[in-house]
Amino acid sequence: MPLHIAWRILMHQKGRTALALGGIFIAILLIFVELGFFIAVPRGGMLIYDHMRFDLLVSSNKYIFQAESWQFPRARLDEVGKNAGVAQASPVYLGGAKWQDPGGGLRLDIAVIGFDPKARLFAAPEVDRQLDVLDHPDTVLVDSQTRPIFGTLQPGRAVDINGRRVTIGGQYDLGTGFLGLGVMLANEANFFRFFPTRRPEAVNLGLVALKPGADPDQVARELRAVLPNDTQIFTRPELSVHEVSFWTTRTGTGLIFGSGLVVAFVVGIMVLYQTLATQITRQLPQFATLKAIGYSNGFLNGIVLIEAVLVMLLAFVPALAAALGVYSVIRGETLLPVNMTAAQLGAVFATTLLMSGISAFLSLGRLRRADPAEIF
Amino acid sequence: MVQEAIGIVPDTRSVPLAWRNLVANKRRLIRSSAGIGFAVLLMLVQLGFERGFFDASLGLVRQLDGDLFIMRASKYRFGAEDPFPRRDLDAARNVGGVASLVPLYAAWQDFFWKDPVGDKSYLIQAFAFDPDQSVFLLPEVNEQRDRLKQEDSVLVDRRARPFLGMSGDARETTINGRTVHIAGSFALGPDFMSSGTVLMSDRTFAGLLTGNRDNPAALPIEFGVVKVQPGGDIAAVQQALTTALPKEVRVLSKPQLIAFERDFQADLSSAGPIFWMGTFVGFIVGMLISYQVIYTDLSDQLPQYATLKGMGYETRYLVRIVFEQAALSAIIAFVPAWLLCLLVYYVIGVLALLPLHMTLALTLLSLALTIGMCLLAAGLAIRRVIAADPAEVF
Repeated sequence: MPLHIAWRILMHQKGRTALALGGIFIAILLIFVELGFFIAVPRGGMLIYDHMRFDLLVSSNKYIFQAESWQFPRARLDEVGKNAGVAQASPVYLGGAKWQDPGGGLRLDIAVIGFDPKARLFAAPEVDRQLDVLDHPDTVLVDSQTRPIFGTLQPGRAVDINGRRVTIGGQYDLGTGFLGLGVMLANEANFFRFFPTRRPEAVNLGLVALKPGADPDQVARELRAVLPNDTQIFTRPELSVHEVSFWTTRTGTGLIFGSGLVVAFVVGIMVLYQTLATQITRQLPQFATLKAIGYSNGFLNGIVLIEAVLVMLLAFVPALAAALGVYSVIRGETLLPVNMTAAQLGAVFATTLLMSGISAFLSLGRLRRADPAEIF
Repeated sequence: MVQEAIGIVPDTRSVPLAWRNLVANKRRLIRSSAGIGFAVLLMLVQLGFERGFFDASLGLVRQLDGDLFIMRASKYRFGAEDPFPRRDLDAARNVGGVASLVPLYAAWQDFFWKDPVGDKSYLIQAFAFDPDQSVFLLPEVNEQRDRLKQEDSVLVDRRARPFLGMSGDARETTINGRTVHIAGSFALGPDFMSSGTVLMSDRTFAGLLTGNRDNPAALPIEFGVVKVQPGGDIAAVQQALTTALPKEVRVLSKPQLIAFERDFQADLSSAGPIFWMGTFVGFIVGMLISYQVIYTDLSDQLPQYATLKGMGYETRYLVRIVFEQAALSAIIAFVPAWLLCLLVYYVIGVLALLPLHMTLALTLLSLALTIGMCLLAAGLAIRRVIAADPAEVF
């Protein structure tokens, strides 16, 4: 019954309802966008890991985050390989190199990931397809999201990497995350040609793949018991928590976009309250009449609450559609992985429900003023 | 008759109708001001973040004490290591008008600072110079420069990110595993690439980097910091240096160096576009909210406008009132939002170590945008007032 009345109120003056929907649409869109920014930075930090095949990550105990990973002895990976649950433990080498066109120009920073192509560490079809390209001497694969300032990334182009002439063997599309303006892949032999002072014994990351059926937490516990404390083991969830907490608490970005999120929440409540309060004022005579013919305050409150939720639901769908559009613009502009996940969708939905609850509660005060004797 | 008819209509200039309209209903006034005020706050916060991002990124560049800067021509941003050999500066010594030329050494990828109270080490940025010369404008640095002459002494940024532990009382820690003495501190603040900054002498720098502090002259140089003789023509000296020096290096004036870094941050860094987009979204949402508020207010007051029309006021007068009212709404909402924003800037500035400052330019820009968006909203909503039919309203 309150639902029916709330619906009739909304349908009675369609223009006004449209205006209200517009306001709430903006509020929800703003929440989506700020949340997108808030999540974009830590997700950018996780991007490369998200596209790698591993169950456990071995790193130095000095590990800070992906781009500041320190090194540990390669022998630790042999130790890891002895565990019954481990199928493969492969080293990954990370380095920052200078990229320059053979004709001169800017010397740009590019991140180099060195690995054994046979270990098939990247969960990307384009990388898998071009693994044999990596085994050519002085040949690399370049991420297609490497910035345009690097020039064309066409296969066959020659570039100087740390002063060494290198051929682009192909492209792949993973995204550069926060490793830098550009990222490229090389096999181990080529990696050490670019970084002659680096030793294969000093590894940045170890990617551990488990045998089918092995429990990552169990194996992680066993490995921690046998490995010396110069290394540490992350399961995927642990790694995700570690990286996200690094980006949100150790850099300014978490606070900046977090406060943007709070501002969006408050603005959303203001807009919603404003809209509801106006509607109630307008329909005060109707509410007073309902009161006069015997409906309880609780019933009237129910109508307002349902009205708030209805408006919110109606505005949510177009706001979601608009947010998807804005996300794709952000993706294009910042090259960060801003995607609509189910968790994000659920979080925003719950938040907007909460917002409509709060604003309905705030506007109930006006309803109390509905005095049948005074209205007429 | 005509006289009487005119007599009914009071002198329109004497009645501040827009103002009275606005304050007639205090509740509505508070509601509208809150709505527009939050739109203003949203804009100011986003705009502040964007400015803060650039101020943080350019903070150190602005503090460099020089008129001209010699750097490698292939350098694409301030904070990318791309040093050049000392001999590339030789020709500069003979260029007229140069008062001093000081090498500035820098490292962004090679110095690991251990948190004095923790056990982790973190990457920091390090700058080094001859302590007898002034390379930074920071007064605190120049007052404490002499202390850097002591071996393995450093000055640290006490506004660095807290996990580095640079703001504490610790007098000793290690960099790259070697013990260093913390001889003093200065206030700079982190940017989006470096969490903290350490300054040291060229000898200490060479020692920490190569293990041999006795030959700093062999180190490649990141910047040649040039001071032009007092009263000298900076542009002419720049031209002369460019001609005299090998083409592997280029010479930038300080404004050019700042613009060089700003362009990088705006166009190429990952963070620049995020802040730009945030500001854009803030504006759009702010405009939409203002429109909503102004439109609702006008709709509420439609009977009053229709009455005025019925009394014989011209449409032109009503239009003027509507626009006046919109502008007044904007100003009334702006003041509390501006004050609240000072608080928000302060809190976020302290917590996020971002230099957020309310400037006159920021105030004027946001005020103009607020009034602009309210007038625009009034312009969109005014059709309803013009069309208001006195006979239908009641």
